[in-house]
Parts: sequence; structure tokens; C-alpha cells
Amino acid sequence: MSPASAPPPAPASWRRHEARLAWAFVLPALGLVATVAVFPIAWTVWESLHLHDLRMPWLGRPFVGVANYVEAAGDRRLWSAVGHTGLFAVLTVSLELTGGLVLALGLDRLRRAAGLVRTAVLLPWALPTVVAALIWRFIFESPAGLATAMATRAGLEAPTWFADAVAAWVPLVLADVWKTTPFVAILLLAGLQAIDPALSEAAAVDGAGPWRRFTGITLPLLRPALLVACLFRTLDALRVFDLVYVMTGGGPGTATEPIALYTFSTLLQNLRFGFGAALSVLVFVAAFGLASLAIRVMGGDAFLERRS
Amino acid sequence: MRRRAWGWTAVTAALVAALLGPLYWAVLSSLTPEPRLFAAPGLVPRALVLTHYRALFEDHDFWVPVANSLIVAGTTTVVSVVLGALCAYATARLRFRGKAPILAFVLAVSMFPQIAIVSPLYMVLRAAGLLNTYPGLVLPYLSFAMPLTIWLLDGYFRQLPLDLEEAALVDGAGRLRTLKEIVLPLAWPGLATTAILTFLYSWNEFLFALSFTLGPERYTVPVAIALFRGQYQVPWGQILAGAVVATVPVAAVVMVAQRRITAGLTSGAVKG
Amino acid sequence: MRRLVAACVLASAGCTSVSDRVLTFSGSVVGRESEVIRRQLDRFQRAHPSIRVAVRATPDAADQRHQLYVQWLNARASEPDILQLDVVWTPEFAAAGWIANLDRFRPPGHEFFAPAIAAAQWNGSVYALPWFVDVGMLYWRTDLVPHAPRDLRELSELAARARDDRRVPFGLVWQGARYEGLVTVFLEYLGAFGGRVLDERGGVALESEPAQRAVAAMFDAIYRDRIVPAAVLTWQEEQTRFAFQNGQAVFMRNWPYAYALLQEPASGVAGRFAVAPMPAAPGGTPTATLGGSALAVNAHSDQPDDAYRLVDYLLQPEQMIERARIAGELPTRPALYGTRELEAAMTMPPADALAIIEHATPRPVTPVYSQLSEILQVSLHRALTRQQMPREALREAAAAMRALLARAKLDPPT
Repeated sequence: MSPASAPPPAPASWRRHEARLAWAFVLPALGLVATVAVFPIAWTVWESLHLHDLRMPWLGRPFVGVANYVEAAGDRRLWSAVGHTGLFAVLTVSLELTGGLVLALGLDRLRRAAGLVRTAVLLPWALPTVVAALIWRFIFESPAGLATAMATRAGLEAPTWFADAVAAWVPLVLADVWKTTPFVAILLLAGLQAIDPALSEAAAVDGAGPWRRFTGITLPLLRPALLVACLFRTLDALRVFDLVYVMTGGGPGTATEPIALYTFSTLLQNLRFGFGAALSVLVFVAAFGLASLAIRVMGGDAFLERRS
Repeated sequence: MRRRAWGWTAVTAALVAALLGPLYWAVLSSLTPEPRLFAAPGLVPRALVLTHYRALFEDHDFWVPVANSLIVAGTTTVVSVVLGALCAYATARLRFRGKAPILAFVLAVSMFPQIAIVSPLYMVLRAAGLLNTYPGLVLPYLSFAMPLTIWLLDGYFRQLPLDLEEAALVDGAGRLRTLKEIVLPLAWPGLATTAILTFLYSWNEFLFALSFTLGPERYTVPVAIALFRGQYQVPWGQILAGAVVATVPVAAVVMVAQRRITAGLTSGAVKG
Repeated sequence: MRRLVAACVLASAGCTSVSDRVLTFSGSVVGRESEVIRRQLDRFQRAHPSIRVAVRATPDAADQRHQLYVQWLNARASEPDILQLDVVWTPEFAAAGWIANLDRFRPPGHEFFAPAIAAAQWNGSVYALPWFVDVGMLYWRTDLVPHAPRDLRELSELAARARDDRRVPFGLVWQGARYEGLVTVFLEYLGAFGGRVLDERGGVALESEPAQRAVAAMFDAIYRDRIVPAAVLTWQEEQTRFAFQNGQAVFMRNWPYAYALLQEPASGVAGRFAVAPMPAAPGGTPTATLGGSALAVNAHSDQPDDAYRLVDYLLQPEQMIERARIAGELPTRPALYGTRELEAAMTMPPADALAIIEHATPRPVTPVYSQLSEILQVSLHRALTRQQMPREALREAAAAMRALLARAKLDPPT
């Protein structure tokens, strides 16, 4: 906080009163968050140390230590899921950053109808993911969906999209890119609009062409926004569930199954709570680790600095 | 100079068309009779019918999920904005130890993968008899709604001008009164934005709704559409009609509040 | 006088609410089934004025209904009192102690088809009663093919020839999406070669010669002989029915429900098809996977006797014939086949149905059938979408099944 905006110094009793008041304001919210978010994590960890299969109640719920984790380490389907998740993240984030940047540059240059275009652009982002998944699934249905029809008209032989382990990724990635490129574009647009146009004009006067100006001025100044977008989109891609559940169900076979879907089907379809809890813990640790790493790389104190 | 401007306009137009195209196709298909759904596709509709929408509401009682979604999303929004505003005012304006840890904690919780807390929440809700109830959905929703509102409102409160508050304080008004009479009226745009974003996320939420509801009487809209299957078939016409219905409130909100939404997204670099 | 009337009304209202017993019935209430069940429940309530029956809706897809049941029953809910179970769920629910042992009611097991009642038993006791029976059958186009194929090889030949000569796009269609339907189709191929999933001791027999040949037959049908389109790998029952109904397939493997729909005027094949059992390999016997539903009583129900009374009512011949007439679902009482009433009620000739039911084979009767099926679904789908060699996929499936049985302490004694 800069000195200009800091409240005037106060006597100790007033500060104690203020602190107590602050905690009174803060506790209801924090208490709720702790109850519905933190306490469940603790429970999950405890559950992961037990054998608990709801469909086999005759086995009881014995304590088994790290047996679930050992099983997870050797679980081929789990490692495949990790690979799928990683692939999905790489593909979607790279496409979204590129597309988002292009869209942001275009929006930046809009003179008229900016509001209308922004509305149109925000619609895919605001939809429930389930709706986006269904729309794109419909487009790629075989044998007579729109995608196949267009491919045939172009003279290409279209695969049975959702029955082909490689082709099934196309609609998945397309749907995600379609839905979240607007979000990236909005983030980058804010960053673009914060760049002082005088810098660019000065460079133009010096004889720098548009590409030179872009790589020399715009991109470097856009770096923080790009990193933020990259971080949030990567975290979201790692948590992908809705899209895959509705579109492919993880199929064909388990070729598109991300880790959240494997955990979900273990927990709530197979009702293997102990093993599923171990998977949940692993997902949690991974997500947390990656997020912390990313924030540190980005100079994360900057994140919190402006807040304290 | 002009050529470059046209180039950008073309690119932007193409991208916007790509973004809206699938939506247009979905709406068009939802109005197409079933036998023609997979016939040779054309951009211009040849026959438009409302049968799918009628079936959706008459045969499948689609009002029920719509009402459920409204209730759950609405309640979540109200609770999280009220409690979040209180908490955010404290972290933004009051002086006390523990601010930074609290904010770090809130940020951390917002990064929890939902799947990691599904099973314990399931067991707790089941033990409390709250599965397939409204509170049984609102409580889990608060796990992502509260960090969101706290983070957004904290940022918002911080950039409100201090002078009015300071004046009130000097005049002897208590913190609570200051909050109520001075800050809240000033902050209402930020509150509105936060409420809108929270409502959108709650309306669109799927995993918790799928896990914690047990039957059609409590399904929310995303779950109802996703599970929309007859015993043997996939009724695309009705599914797309349901998708359109699910989109209408969202689209309305976006159209009315696109400026606010944009501001909200960029202010807190919110999770997408 | 008015006060007296009011008092009587209040008193009687009080009386009925005390002696009214409410049974909750949970099952499929979609489409025509909804009409049938409401009629029959109404009649039951009129015959038993002190019992009211409420219907609790469940999702129509079987796996979702299953998940819902497991969640309710695991929480020891006392409702619903009566559950419609898919035929493969009985051992699972019985072993878990979730459905009531019906032996004390002395149910007339001998009045039902033997495989159906066998699938409804666990550990020697009857835990459910067969409500309607489903069997996988081969639908064939009488105008494109001279007779029903006598074995798998003839099926291939006839399909290829008809497809080439008559320019029909697909020779044969079956359900190949990654779900239970795929397993039911596989079991018919498996039985055609004389194989089984679990042997008599309860051990896993998936790496046997018959199993390899069964998967190879399905694989070759798609990629070598090209009589089955790859699209089937995303199809469930209705998509195959649409293909056959629009005249795009010479043969279709599906359940009996499709028969009546295919005979409707809007259908492109009305009057031009017939049914037969799925053929076996040369020298083998045909297999028809047993499907259908059974009715069970919740083990924690407050009113098991009333619940059984309703179950018994729904299983009477009169109700079964009505169900056949309105919903096209086949009765589970052999005695009804050959009666004029059933003949009049069914679109499909009962004699044809009976001939196929004679080959009915239940799926493995084990409490962990659903988990075994999931393993098999994934492996089969991987093999059929060319992600894995069939032999390798079967090996993996067998290993996973053995691990599952060991974990469930259901593995055969060594």
C-alpha cells in the first residue's frame, strides 16, 4: 500500500478493536471455505489409506496404509490418463494463446461495433461446457454430421471420429479452443490496451516495420498477461472433465480419458472410494505443485504484492 | 495503411464467424425436424419446427432443471457475494495481522481441482442426508464461489477512493456503518460484476451437480442435458433444444453485461 | 349438520392416512412402459384399497439407474420398496445384502424360463423374479437373403453378396460402442465358438482359443470382410435400428423391442424381415445373450410382504400379456407361448421368439459382474478400434479380471 492511501495511524486500543472487527468479518467466509474445501481434502487423505469399495461391502473398510498408492503407481490406465491430460493441455493452450492473441489484436483495432463484437465473442465462453461439448459432438457425429459432410465435399475421406483413437482428439481440442479462446483474448486485450501507443509510434518513426514493432515492443510488454493466461488455461486444461465426459466418455476404449475422468469413474461409477481417494490426492498434489511452481516462475510475489 | 486495417477487419470477422458459426448451427438444428437432422446440411433452413422444444417441456419437464439451476445458482451467488464482500472489505481496508496468509489461502483454494474433493463431499452430504437437495449443492458450490468473490471484491475494494471512507471515520462513524452507508453504494458496480460472474460459474457447473444429485427432480440444467438419453437412443433434436434453452439466460446476461464481465475477468485474472 | 359432516370427513381423512400403506416402485417408466406400469399399478391399487403405490422415476440408461440404486441401497434407504433390476444386477445386490431373500414366499421358480430364474438366484436362494425377458437376435431381410444363415461363415457370405448385388451399404450392424451392449454382442460370438468368460470354477477363461476366435471374428467383420461398418463402434441399439429401418443393412443384431417398431408403416422394411438366433461357428450351437429385467424387494423395506404382493401381481400371466401387447416385452413364462392370447398380443410371432429364447445364455452370474463387464468393454473396444492387438487386449482383460476377483475374494480356490 502506498503511503498516500494508507489510513492515518491509530492508537493501540483502536487497532485491537479493528483487528477483532476484521476477524469477525472474515471468519464466516473463511469458516465456510475451510468446511467445504479444506476439511474434505483432509478426509480424502485419510480415506486414501483405507480399502473402501461400496460395491463390495463384505470387504469392510480396513486400513491398508499406502496400498492404494502402490496400486496407483503400477496402474497403466492412470499413466495413460496422465499422458492424455498432458497432451490435451499442450494442444489446447498453445492453440488458445495463438488464437487469443490474434483475436485480441483484431479487437484492439476495432473502431465500431466493439460492444457487439465483444458480446459475440463472449458467448462461447459463457456457455456451459456441457452445451459446447454437445454442439461439437453433434457436428462431428458419424456418419452424417456436418464435419464429415464438409470433409466429403472437399474430397477427403473422413474417419469415424469418435471410433478412432487419434481422430477423436480433433473435436475435443476444437471444442475447448472454441470455448476458451475468447477468455484468453479478453485477458490479452486488456494487456494490449495498457501499452502506451507512443512507444509504437516512436519505433515507427525510427523506421521499424510492423512485425519488428510487434516482436520488439508489443510482445515483451504483453508478457505478464500472456503468462497469466497461460497459467490459468494450463491449470484448467489439467482439470478438464465436463468436456470429455460428455463428448467421448473417455473413449474410444480409454484413448481420450483424462485424469479427472478416470478419478470420477473410479469414485462415483465404480464406487471404489479408497483407491479413488488416492487418485484424488495425487491429482491435488500435482495441481498444487504445478500452480506453485508456475507462480514462482512468474514472479508470484507480484501477484500478492499488490494485495498486501 | 487502409489495407492493413481491412486485413485486420477480415481476420477479426473470420474469427467471430468461427465463434458464432457452431452456435448458429446448433440453433438451426434444434428447429429442424428429426428426419432431416442428418440430411444434407445447408446454411439456409428449409423447414423450421418447434417439436423438439415442445417435447422438451411437455414430455421431459424441462422446467424442473431450469428451476433447480436458478435456485442453486441464485442462492450460491447471494451467499457468496454477501459473505465475500464482508471478508473482502476486511482484507482490503482493515488493518490486522494475517491478511496476506488469508489471501494466499483463498488463492490456493481456488486452485483445488474439484475432482479431489468430490468423494469426501459426497460422503459428508450422504451422512447428513443432503444428497439430492438444494443445500447439498449450494454448499459444495461455495467451495469455488467464495474464493472467487473474495478475490474479486478484495481487488475491487482496494481501488475505491479512500476519501469518503476516511471522512466518515473521522466523523466518528463505526466501520460497519461506513461499510453499509458509504462503501456499498460506491461499490455496487463491482458487486454486480462479481455477482454476475458467480452466477455464470454456478449455472454452468457440472461435476458437483452430476455427483450430488440422484434423480431428475434435482438435476440442474447442464446435468439434465448431458444425461438426456432414452433407453437406447440419443435424441439430438431435443438435446440441441435443451442446449439452446440452457444458453438463453447466459446469452442474455452476456449481452446486458459484457462490459462488466470483461472488466471483471481482467481485474482479478480470474480462473477461466 | 355441516359441522358433523366436516368432522366425519376429517376423521376419515385421518383414518386413511394412518392405514394407507405406501409402496414405492422404482423402474423404467419411459414411453410405452410408462403406460403399462401405470395401468397395472392402478388395477393393483383398486384390488388392494389400503395400499398406495408411488412411482419413483429413475434415469432411463441402465448404468445410471445402477449407480443410483447402489447409492440408495448402500445408504440403507427403505425406499424404493420394489426395484426393477437389470438381469445382471441380482447377484451383486444379493451378495451385498441389499435385496431381500424371497425364498420364504415360496416363489414359483419353475414357472419361469430356466436361464432367467437361474440368473435371479445367488447362493441357492431366489432374490428376484424375472419380469420380462430380452434375448439378442438376428434380424434378417427376407427380400435380400433367401434364408437365415446357418452359421457365421454363411452370415458373412450372405451379407457380402447382398451388399454387393443390391448395393445395400452395410452387411451387418451390431452395437459396438463402449458399453454393456458391446459385451452382449461379444458373448454371442464367444458362445458361437463354444467359449465362456468364467469357467465352472469361477476362473477367468478369456485367453482361450474360442475367445481369441470370437474377437477375431468381430474384428475381421469390420476390417477384413468389411460387412460391418466401423461406425458401429459408436452405435448403441437405436442407431443400429435406424440403419436397418432405413434399409441400409442386410442383417441387424438387436433386441426384441425393435420388432414392433420395424413393422410400423413409417419403417422402410415393414413386412420384409424376420428374426433368427445369432448363428454359431460351423459345428457350434447358437447363443442368445439373456437380457431383460427382474423385480426385487428392498432388503430394508418396511413392508416386504406388501412389496412381494405387488411383485407377484405384476408377474401374473394377465399382466405379462398386457406388457407384451403395449410395450413389446417378452413374458418370462414358457406356458404363455403357444396361447392364442399371446399370439394376438405380440407383433413378433411367439414361436420365433421361443425358438431364440431356447438358446438364451445368462451373462456370468457373479456379484462383480458389472466390474468385469467394464474391464471387458474397455479391452474389446480397444481391440476393435485397433489400439491394441486382440490377443493382447484379451490377455490384459483376463489379468485385470483375475486381479478384481482376488480383490473381491471371489477367486476360485487354487
